[in-house]
Amino acid sequence: MRIRTRGFGMLAGIALIVSACSGSPTPVPPTVAPSVSAPSVAPSTPPASVAPSSTPAPSFAQKPGLKIGVVTDIGTLDDKGYNEFSFKGAQDGATAIGVTDPVPSIVPKDASEYAADIQQFVSQKFDVIVTVGFNLTTPTVDAAHKNPNIKFIGVDQSPECILPTGAPDPNFACKGVPATALPNYTSLYFAEDQAGYLAGIVAAYADKGAATPTGVIGAIGGTTLCAPCVRYIQGYTLGAQSVNPSITVKSAYVTHDFSNAAFNDPAGGKAFAQTFIQANKPDVLFQVAGKTGNGVLEAACAANIYGIGVDVDQWASLGAPANACIITSAEKHVESAVAQAIEGIAAGTLTAGDVLFNAKNDGISAADFHDKASLFGPEVTTALNTAMAAMQAGTLVTCPATGCGVAP
Amino acid sequence: MSAPPSPAPAQARSRRSLGARAWAVLAVPALVVILSLLLGAVVILGSELIVTGRKFDPWLWFTAYAALVQGAYGSTDAVIQTLVYSTPLVFGGLAVAFGFKAGLFNIGAQGQFLVGALGAVIVGVALADAPAPIAIVAATIAGIVAGGIWGFVPGFLKAVSGAHEVVSTIMLNYVAVQLLAALVSGPLKVPKSPSPVTYDVGNAAFPIVIGATGHIGIILAIVAAGFVWWLLFRTTWGFEIRSVGANPDAARYAGMRPKLLIVATMTFSGALAGLAGTSVLLGVSHSMTSSFGTTVGFDSIAVALLARSNPLGVLPAAVLFGSMRAGAGLMQINAGIPVELVDVLQATILLFLVASPVLRRLLRLRNVEAGITTAAPSPGLGAGTAP
Repeated sequence: MRIRTRGFGMLAGIALIVSACSGSPTPVPPTVAPSVSAPSVAPSTPPASVAPSSTPAPSFAQKPGLKIGVVTDIGTLDDKGYNEFSFKGAQDGATAIGVTDPVPSIVPKDASEYAADIQQFVSQKFDVIVTVGFNLTTPTVDAAHKNPNIKFIGVDQSPECILPTGAPDPNFACKGVPATALPNYTSLYFAEDQAGYLAGIVAAYADKGAATPTGVIGAIGGTTLCAPCVRYIQGYTLGAQSVNPSITVKSAYVTHDFSNAAFNDPAGGKAFAQTFIQANKPDVLFQVAGKTGNGVLEAACAANIYGIGVDVDQWASLGAPANACIITSAEKHVESAVAQAIEGIAAGTLTAGDVLFNAKNDGISAADFHDKASLFGPEVTTALNTAMAAMQAGTLVTCPATGCGVAP
Repeated sequence: MSAPPSPAPAQARSRRSLGARAWAVLAVPALVVILSLLLGAVVILGSELIVTGRKFDPWLWFTAYAALVQGAYGSTDAVIQTLVYSTPLVFGGLAVAFGFKAGLFNIGAQGQFLVGALGAVIVGVALADAPAPIAIVAATIAGIVAGGIWGFVPGFLKAVSGAHEVVSTIMLNYVAVQLLAALVSGPLKVPKSPSPVTYDVGNAAFPIVIGATGHIGIILAIVAAGFVWWLLFRTTWGFEIRSVGANPDAARYAGMRPKLLIVATMTFSGALAGLAGTSVLLGVSHSMTSSFGTTVGFDSIAVALLARSNPLGVLPAAVLFGSMRAGAGLMQINAGIPVELVDVLQATILLFLVASPVLRRLLRLRNVEAGITTAAPSPGLGAGTAP
C-alpha cells in the first residue's frame, strides 16, 4: 500500500512539473497593462517641426462603457509581434477612452476557429472587435457584413476587397466601396517603405563608417509574397542610395511561399544569411523575416557586420547578447495604430476601409541607436530628421512608382 | 475461426453486474479527467501567484471552469459549436484508434488531416459551381483518397522495408505542412489576393443541418464511429486486424497476412484522418489560408487513448475535447485565462492515461481490460500481452 501511494505521489509530482512548465510562461492577464512600452520615438528622429499632427490631438472622446475584444492569429499573445502589439494597442486605446474593464483576447488554436472566435465576442455584445493578421481577413469582413452595429478593426488586412453588398469577395474583383458598403470595418496598414527608407539611411552611413567599407549593404526578406516585406526592402534601397548613390544593395528572400521557413525558422534564417554574407560581403544586413530574421541577425553578428532589426526595436526586444551588432530597427507602430483607431471610433472620426499609418500619424520610425550611438555623427541624425520631415510633408518618394510591394 | 489469440472480452466478465462493468470501463477515464481538472485548478492558482499586478482571486479557477462549461453548453448555438469542434476529433480519434487496434501507432493523423483538406479544397474549388450533391460527394471522396494515400505510404514502407511507422508518419507530417504552404501560396492562391488564400469551395461546402454552424459532417462522424465499430468487431477483416495487433506471429500462424493488413490499416486510418480534414474544410473554413493548420492530429491521439481505442468510446472522448475547444473562447473572455490552459488539461489527461496502470492499481481494478495500454505503447509489432 505504501508503495502504491508513493507511486501515485511521484506521478502527481511529475505531472505538476510538466504542466507547470507548459503553463507558467503563458498566463498573460489581460488586466495588466504595465507602463505600455511607448512606441520608441527614437531620439535620432525627434518630432520634426512639421509634425504637430504626428500624434493625434489628445481630445479623446470618453466612452467608458465600450466593450473591446481582440481576436489574434494563431500562436501566443506574447509573441513580440502583431499579436502582442495589437493587443497592447487595444489596451492603450481602451485606457485612453476611459474603459476600465479589462480588454479580453482570444487566441485561436487553428485556422478553422477564426469565425467562431469572432462570433464569441459578437454573442457577448462587444462594441469593437479587433482582429489581427491577414489570415483573418475573410472571417472579419464576413462578421462585419453580418453585424453592422459592431465596429471591426483589422490589422494588416489591406487592401480591403469586398462585394458591393459588403460581403467578402472570394474572387477579389473588389467592386464594393468600403465607405458605403461596409462602413463598420477599418483595415490598418503601414508605410513599411518609409521605415525601410530610414533604416537604409542608417545602413549607408554605417557602411561609410566601417573599417574597410565594401560599399555593399544587404537585406533578407522572409518571402517574396509578403508585400510589406518587399516594401521595407524597396524603401531601404532608396534610403541608402539617398546617402550614397553608388552603394550596392543586395537583397534576397528566404522562400517564395508562406511556409515556416519564411517567418518561423531562425536556424534556417541563420544558414541562409551565412551563405548570403559569404557571397555578397555586405557591411550591414537588414532582416525582414520575423523569427527567421532573428537567425539572420545572429549570422550578421557572428560575421562581425552590423544588423538592422524590423517591426519593433529589436535591440530592446532581443536584449543582450543577441543585440550586440544591431544598430537600429525599422519600426512600424502597430500598437499606436490600433490605439488611434479605437480612439477614432470613440470620437467618431475613424474612416472605413484602408487606413494608412505612416510618418504623418506616428505609424513608422527608425529605432534608437542605443549603444551604437557613438558610430553615428550628427549628420546621420540630420539626414534622418530631414527624411522624416519630407515624409510627413508627403514629398519624399520611398517606394518605386511601379511595382511597389512586388518583389523583382 | 478457431484462432488462438482472443482479444475479445473474456467470458467471465459477462457474469458481473452491469454497474460493475460500467465502473470497470469508465473508472479510469473519469478519474483521469477529474484529476486533470484539479491539476488545472492548481496551475491557475499557481500562475496567479507568479503573475504580479493582478489581484489574487482564490475562485478564479472556478470562474474559468464555469466559463468553459458555459462556453461549451451555455446555449443551443454553443452546444452545436461544441459538436462542430468535436467532429474532426471523432474522425481523427477513429483513425488513431483503428491503427492502435492493429498495433500501429499512427502519429501521422496530422499530416493526413492536412493532405485530406488539400484534396477536398482542390476538388471543391474545381467543382464550386457544379450541382451541390456532385460537388460535395466528389470533394469528400477526394479528401478521403488524399488522406488514404498519405496513410498508405508509411504502411507500405513498413510492410516492405520495416520502416517504423512512427518515424515515417512524423516525417510525412512535415512534408504535408510544406506541401500545403507551397500550394496555397502558389498554384491554389487566388491570383489577385494580397495574401495567400484559395478560392471558396462554393457548392461543395457541407450543408448546414443544425443551427447556424452545425454542418452535416457531425452526422457523418456518428455514422463513421458506428461503421468503424462494425468493421472491427463484426467483420473478418476487423478480426484479423485485431489479431495482428494482439499477436502478429500467432496471426501469421493462423494464416493471416500481417503485411497486407498493415498496409490496409494505415491506408484506412489515413483515409479517416483525411476525412477529418475534409470535414473542417468543407464544413467550417470553406477556403484555405496558409495558416490552415491544426492540432487535431495530435489531439486525436489523446482522444483515442481516452476512448481506449473503442470506436464508440471515441464519440464521448471527442466531445470532451471539443467542449474544451468550444469553451476556451468564453474562458478567455470571462476569466482572462489563456487558451493554453486547455493545452495543459489535454496534456495532463494524456499523462494520466499513460500512467493509468498506476491508477488502476489504486482503484484495485486489476482485472479490468487494459484496453489501449496493451496495444498502444509498444508501437512495434508483437505489442502487448492480451489480458
